[in-house]
Amino acid sequence: MRLRLSTLPHIRSGETTTTLMLNVLIALVPCVIAGIYNFGWNAAMLMAVCMGTAILSEYLFQLIARRPVRVGDLSALVTGLILALNLPSSAPWWMAVVGSAFAIVIVKELFGGIGSNFMNPALTARAVLLASWPVMMTAYVSPTYWQQGVDAVSSATPLGGLSASYLDLFLGRIPGSIGEVSKVMILVGLVYLIISRTITWHIPVCMVGSAFLFSWIFGADPVAAILSGGLLFGAVFMATDYTTCPMTFKGQVMYAAGCGLIVAVIRAFGSYPEGVTYAILLMNIVTPLIDKYVRHRVYGHGKGEKHNG
Amino acid sequence: MRGAHEGKIPTRNQPIRDFVSDRVAILMGMHLGAPSKPCVAKGDRVLMGQLIGEPVGPLGVAVHASVSGNVTAVEPIPYMTAEPMMCVSIRNDFKDEWVELNPLGNVETCDPALIVPAIKEAGICGMGGAAFPTHVKLTCREGATCDTIILNGVECDTHLTADHRLMLEEPARIVDGLRAAMRALDVKRGVIAIEDNKPEAIEAMSKAIEGRIGVEVAVLKTKYPQGCEKQLIKSITGREVPSGKLPVDVHTIMLNVATAHAIADAVIDGKPLVERITTVTGCVLEPGNLRMRVGTYLCDAIGECGGYSEYPGKIVCGGGMTGTCAPNHDVPTTKATNGIVVFNKPDSRSVEEGPCIRCGRCVEACPMGLNPYLIKHHCDMAKWDEAKKLNLLDCTLCGCCSYACPARRWLTASFKVAKANLAIAAERGKAQ
Amino acid sequence: MADNNRSIGSVFLDGVITENPTFRLVLGICPTIATTTSAINGLGMGAAATFVLIGSNAVISLLRNFIPDKVRIPAFVVVICTFVTMVQLLMQAFVPSLYDALGMFIPLIVVNCIILARAEAFASKNGVLPSIVDGLGMGVGFTGAITLMGCVRELISSGSIFGLNVLSAGYQPMLLIGMAAGGFMVFGLSLGAFNLIVNRVEKKKGGVKA
Repeated sequence: MRLRLSTLPHIRSGETTTTLMLNVLIALVPCVIAGIYNFGWNAAMLMAVCMGTAILSEYLFQLIARRPVRVGDLSALVTGLILALNLPSSAPWWMAVVGSAFAIVIVKELFGGIGSNFMNPALTARAVLLASWPVMMTAYVSPTYWQQGVDAVSSATPLGGLSASYLDLFLGRIPGSIGEVSKVMILVGLVYLIISRTITWHIPVCMVGSAFLFSWIFGADPVAAILSGGLLFGAVFMATDYTTCPMTFKGQVMYAAGCGLIVAVIRAFGSYPEGVTYAILLMNIVTPLIDKYVRHRVYGHGKGEKHNG
Repeated sequence: MRGAHEGKIPTRNQPIRDFVSDRVAILMGMHLGAPSKPCVAKGDRVLMGQLIGEPVGPLGVAVHASVSGNVTAVEPIPYMTAEPMMCVSIRNDFKDEWVELNPLGNVETCDPALIVPAIKEAGICGMGGAAFPTHVKLTCREGATCDTIILNGVECDTHLTADHRLMLEEPARIVDGLRAAMRALDVKRGVIAIEDNKPEAIEAMSKAIEGRIGVEVAVLKTKYPQGCEKQLIKSITGREVPSGKLPVDVHTIMLNVATAHAIADAVIDGKPLVERITTVTGCVLEPGNLRMRVGTYLCDAIGECGGYSEYPGKIVCGGGMTGTCAPNHDVPTTKATNGIVVFNKPDSRSVEEGPCIRCGRCVEACPMGLNPYLIKHHCDMAKWDEAKKLNLLDCTLCGCCSYACPARRWLTASFKVAKANLAIAAERGKAQ
Repeated sequence: MADNNRSIGSVFLDGVITENPTFRLVLGICPTIATTTSAINGLGMGAAATFVLIGSNAVISLLRNFIPDKVRIPAFVVVICTFVTMVQLLMQAFVPSLYDALGMFIPLIVVNCIILARAEAFASKNGVLPSIVDGLGMGVGFTGAITLMGCVRELISSGSIFGLNVLSAGYQPMLLIGMAAGGFMVFGLSLGAFNLIVNRVEKKKGGVKA
């Protein structure tokens, strides 16, 4: 009889990296459906291209760099899909390719692969695309694919001056990125993520709350502020990226509050109409600092004592 | 900790049943501290409860024959330790002839000064798993005082139901044991801590404490590792055991309910610790809670429970979280074996370690407030001192971080290695 | 470094490859990032720096036995300043467009770490000829590196090399690469690639020798 000898514990929770990533993908499904419904087949094409490129570039990089191939953990798919949902539906396919490959190879793999990137890959890729092709990245079209047919016209977003009712904002009857317009579907995804315990409520709630509060302080319409742009999508799917958000709940609350504040500041005082991308990226960079100083008190050590090593 | 308590379902409603096998192998090193010295020889006939191992050193514990019969061997046998361990094997003659016992009688009226010596004589050590000599625990060192004794009926580890059944079936004995310990140390407050997932046990114990002095039942939220000494003391008394200190430094002593039961046996009947309740579960046909003699072979116990239901991949002595793996099923149980859990092959497979995704699950899971991911990072690079700076030595090896980790990282295993390394380094430093 | 037995050729090659100032010593990064927005800017900056390097190395090497050790750095800087001023005036006179494009970065050659580092590490310890060759090698290495980066950045950010359109008109330039952030990315990636290749080659050579 050969028995295995191992150290404790002898049981593990059912969660694995793959199941967590799968949960995120499932939570994104409503946004995907809304995106295709609103923006038509070009949106579907962008998602397919982004995910395909992400998977392929991760696989090739790991092969060339002789690293263990970890494509199976689905994290590249998540990155690709989130990037696609951040693009305007009029974006050309090659932008999706460049963005996806950049996210995976430069932001993720060159820094050591999953868990080692210091910024959210999809968001960084979006920022790169925005800086490189600003006109095409902001050519938002109205989500009226099924009413008007393929020739949708590009127009201003609510943040860019378009006026829209709260209901339009909430239901996504506004121009914007593929995934960010339909707030209902994002909330459905959020509920799934929380029920499946993939994420906790801390980051989304605090980020939206802080954006609400600071928008109000800075004199903007707070309800419109949280319903427009990519705030909700960012708060639910991008600020909550495990690798780039703090470890402790307390740290996460601080991080999310910071994200909300920066969003409100950029929208109110910056020259960009939208600031979610930069807000989250900036707070991503602050995350190691938060993790260094916001830690649990170690049991059995006095309250005033410092434990950061 | 979700899903971790499902393991208890098969045995939680199984009444304790007696099992006596025809052979026992009684290890000399069942407790923390130096192994005892065997004082019988091959061929001797021993009676039940007869002293067969004399205590050695300050943490020594007496070892008694758990059956009557002939000694068939006194020799080292392979065990979970690195070295084979001295062991007295006895062939059971099923006569159960006891040696002459010296009972103290009623726990409320006996001479309190005699209680700790009786416990020492009975060879009792902690029966929750750590096997710390109980008489040492109950001898407050110079200057230390104790105002609370906590009975640990939490049994938070997975799969185990032995303490649960004991509380249901023999609550009065447990309270007797607690009272004996309280009287020995002149402690006014005794608390029996039970998690809220054992309502029947709470009811039984609450009934049993009626009319007893200074004893109360505390109901705790079900949460692994509630039963870890330090967490339990915090939950009950609100006191925190300072890093590197013992519970007695915050005037608290903690005993397992099974230990209290053994204390009652020792004081009331004068019986030494020769039997205990063990949960046998996992891939066995008839899982149950067995009252077994100390030194029963694992294979005999598993056989009593109908044998394996699947080909075994791993046999764990203790619970699923903190148990120890048995090298094979030909090893005996000890005074501290509260469970035998058989895992099938698929569940025993080694898990491949993935890269940390910084999800923070381990940080939120750690009951001590440590940063397991960071400590592991230093352990992987063999930077033991860095790990120590991050309070590695406060780690209780509860396994929560490894359980929760979605990347399947071997956190607890690394910490065990790191702690062993630091212990060696400290030993060296002392020697120089 | 003070090894006088080394051949002139190896001193030159060191500067170009094994001790390439940009990719191996990682010196003078400020002008590297700032002036590589186009190939011609990179080349101009490289040429100017090479001129200063050769000149200052030669003069410092000549004066190495006269400069007191305690004031050597100010003395080096005076020599370097002289050459930088010469370059500045020459460029202003003969290539005014490049002079305008590089702007502030020409006077800033004074504080370019490569030049002071070579003066300190090489010229002040070696003869005139090796110092001139070292300056030339370092200069060529620096010029090569930043011209290469300039080519890459120009190609990606505007689809041309040395001002000639090489990509089809349909190419959508990636503006980011022309910005500072793109400069850092291209620098990091080319530094990585250079070291990867050189280390591989050296490993192979070492393997043959052993």
